[in-house]
Amino acid sequence: MSAAVVTGVRPVGTPRRGVTAGGVVAAEWTKLTSLRSPWWTAVVTVLVAGVITWLSANASSVDPGFVPADSISTGLLLAQLGPLVLGVLVGAGEFRTGGFRSTFTVVPRRWPVLAAQAVVTAAFGLGLAVVTVAACVAGVLPAAASRGMTLDLAADGTPGVLVGMVLLLVGLALLGLAVGALLRRTVPALVTAIVLVFLLPVVLMLASDPLIGGAASEGSGLTVTGTVGVLLPGTAGQLMTLPAGSTGMDGAPALGPVGGGLVLAAWVLVLLGLAAVRLRTRDVT
Amino acid sequence: MSAVTAAAPRAVRGAPARRGVTLARVLAAEWTKLTSLRSTAWLAFGTVAATAATAYGLGLFVRAEDGRSGTGVVTSGSVLAQVGFLVLGVLVGTAEHSTGTARTTFTAVPRRLPVLAGQALVTAAAALGTAGAALGASVLATSGVRSSVPLALDLHDPGTVRALAGFLLLHTGVALLGVGLGSLLRRPADALVTGMLLVVVLDPLLATNPGRVTDTLRALLPGAGGRLVQDDAALAALDAATHGPQLGTWGGGVVLAGWVVVALAAAAYRLRRHDL
Amino acid sequence: MIEVEALTKRYGRTTAVDGLTFAARPGTVTGFLGPNGAGKSTTMRVVVGLERPTSGRATVDGLPYAELAAPLHAVGVMLDARSVHPGRSAYRHLRALAQTHGIGRARVREVLELTGLESAAGRRAGTFSLGMGQRLGIAGALLGDPGTLILDEPVNGLDPDGVLWIRRLVRELAAEGRTVLLSSHLMHELALCADRVVIIGRGRLLADASVAEIVARSERAGTVRVRTSEPEPLLRALLERGAHVTPQEPGVLQVRGATVGDVGAAARRCGVTVLELSTEAGSLEDAYLRLTADAVEYRTSDAAGAPAGGAR
Repeated sequence: MSAAVVTGVRPVGTPRRGVTAGGVVAAEWTKLTSLRSPWWTAVVTVLVAGVITWLSANASSVDPGFVPADSISTGLLLAQLGPLVLGVLVGAGEFRTGGFRSTFTVVPRRWPVLAAQAVVTAAFGLGLAVVTVAACVAGVLPAAASRGMTLDLAADGTPGVLVGMVLLLVGLALLGLAVGALLRRTVPALVTAIVLVFLLPVVLMLASDPLIGGAASEGSGLTVTGTVGVLLPGTAGQLMTLPAGSTGMDGAPALGPVGGGLVLAAWVLVLLGLAAVRLRTRDVT
Repeated sequence: MSAVTAAAPRAVRGAPARRGVTLARVLAAEWTKLTSLRSTAWLAFGTVAATAATAYGLGLFVRAEDGRSGTGVVTSGSVLAQVGFLVLGVLVGTAEHSTGTARTTFTAVPRRLPVLAGQALVTAAAALGTAGAALGASVLATSGVRSSVPLALDLHDPGTVRALAGFLLLHTGVALLGVGLGSLLRRPADALVTGMLLVVVLDPLLATNPGRVTDTLRALLPGAGGRLVQDDAALAALDAATHGPQLGTWGGGVVLAGWVVVALAAAAYRLRRHDL
Repeated sequence: MIEVEALTKRYGRTTAVDGLTFAARPGTVTGFLGPNGAGKSTTMRVVVGLERPTSGRATVDGLPYAELAAPLHAVGVMLDARSVHPGRSAYRHLRALAQTHGIGRARVREVLELTGLESAAGRRAGTFSLGMGQRLGIAGALLGDPGTLILDEPVNGLDPDGVLWIRRLVRELAAEGRTVLLSSHLMHELALCADRVVIIGRGRLLADASVAEIVARSERAGTVRVRTSEPEPLLRALLERGAHVTPQEPGVLQVRGATVGDVGAAARRCGVTVLELSTEAGSLEDAYLRLTADAVEYRTSDAAGAPAGGAR
């Protein structure tokens, strides 16, 4: 209609600051939090963690040797699926919806987008993890109260377990992000992530522990399946949630909580690196 | 574009009496749809390869004193294989809704339910064929270990035949559950996560904490279908160990079938009653 | 024949279609117009049974869509070019559609040829441009050789050749006695190929008449435009005669209530030189903008005061 429409646009050629790291991170944060699925995933994760911990603590509170702190991480076995799925949806989401076309024309170097997604996923995952762990702690309280016990979170080893639980959840969110960004499609990425974290340990267990015959734990030596098993991201991450003095897993080298965390971190870094290379060197279509 | 002026002279005005939609025709259409996607072939191939490779890999750890059976070794890839069949079903069930093909499909078949029936039938056929191939490949992949240990795979033994047939039934059932969940939930990620939870994730998690409640839950989840591939000795051991209901030989299969029926019925209800 | 009677469709608290009644008759091309969000696509989706009406009814050849024994032979539908699985080839997509009605391979090839897609038949639909997707959608609509066609924005994304082809195609289909319901945002396109126009806004019927009748309702229709070197004396002379005069750009007057002859005679009497003198024809676009001025949901802010501004 007329030139009046274009008020608010600066004259061509005015020097302006370009794409900044802070801007990219802020943009990714807006994208993540403006969708409904991350919030749903978060709510379900927290609920599942709390309810399962509560059920399991109630069930084991009848044991004479019940120690409330030992039940804290039981809800995490299932709840860890939440951050993993969340990460996959963030990593693959842009490619699924076509949103990447506008994203990568705005940030043509591309890899800052991936870095920003990692920062944002870690931040959202951290918030989610803290609330989830709080739900786990709350889930143990009724069982502890029923036995007249108190839950001392500062007691030996417990702070480490709580930190480990938070780190496990954040790490799995980042692992999901890396798999999603690498594979770019939701279905293959979800399948890969879930098989890697949940299913391969079960399959490896079949090798060392036949269903019948009780041949398990006949020796304390290392086994191939035990070693491979503990190097999987989910199993390794799980080590962070075990009390420092616990024995670890049968047939596996004793990595300890720190070692387990490092293995999970290595998985995340390698997969994110591959995703960055793919982003840099291959077309996005 | 100039040659496009007119269709050959047509005398039609309105619809003459031509036979319309039949279940057989919808079935043919759904078969064309399934086989015209490259992803189907890759998925089937990948599932067969992963199943046989797992069976081979796990076979490397089998020792004579384990007391395993030949069928146990052959079907040991089925935990991983279930994922492939679940994905197959979920992709068939969600494809209409995730790609917008629903607009085309359901204007051609406005009664809608024949489409779901067609999808279930072609998926069952494809799953049965793929499961047969996976079973054959697993038998071949484990032939070395079975002859060296040795472990018998005796097709005259009813228990062996039942477990091998159970392999086909389990994976066909899981694929059908995928169709039901996919058509009901309509979004691949939702259906896939739900399906994997129900079929392969929850069962081992619950197994880590045996008790009356967890064992009862395990018996009621579709993961109980995994019992279909166990040989008689393993089933007896499972029933002896459980604190929940004992499912016997076919109980696990019946539980899985129940889940399939409920998921497909819920999908049919949503398809019939709701907008697309 | 499509009949829509007192159709209402609500989604929660939003009313998408509100008591809409109209008919598209055999042998005519009925244009279906309305601003974005007016309820056109919803109406079409209800007509073909993808959505259920909240109240009222929609029938094709006298039957609700879901009761048609052979829907593809009765109605050809193209609602959205993106109604195809991106991993499936054009041929296989049409083949699967044809199989639901036992339509043979020969007819599939025929519609591919008809829509100019024969060379792309083996390509996956995900690699198609918007225009090719549009052609594939139209091929699907023609597959069953139906007596009624429902096309939502068929020229969207087509090149000029394609637009011309669609125009000829719908004219021919109507000439063969078929019913064609066609939605579009392109007014001049509809003015060229539609016989009747149904205009809706906010889910309600605003107009249902022939194109000529609608155009006649245009604000400018029948006004006289005159350009002169000295507009002042002519303006006074015309006002004295009781005409309604609006000065426009410098030297140009728009006159209502007088013929070209009246204006010419007045100019001669007051001795001014006429540089240009004509009757304004009016346009579908003008009439449309006037009708829908109050019913537009999404509008650029500066157009609000000047609904006819875009016509000049």
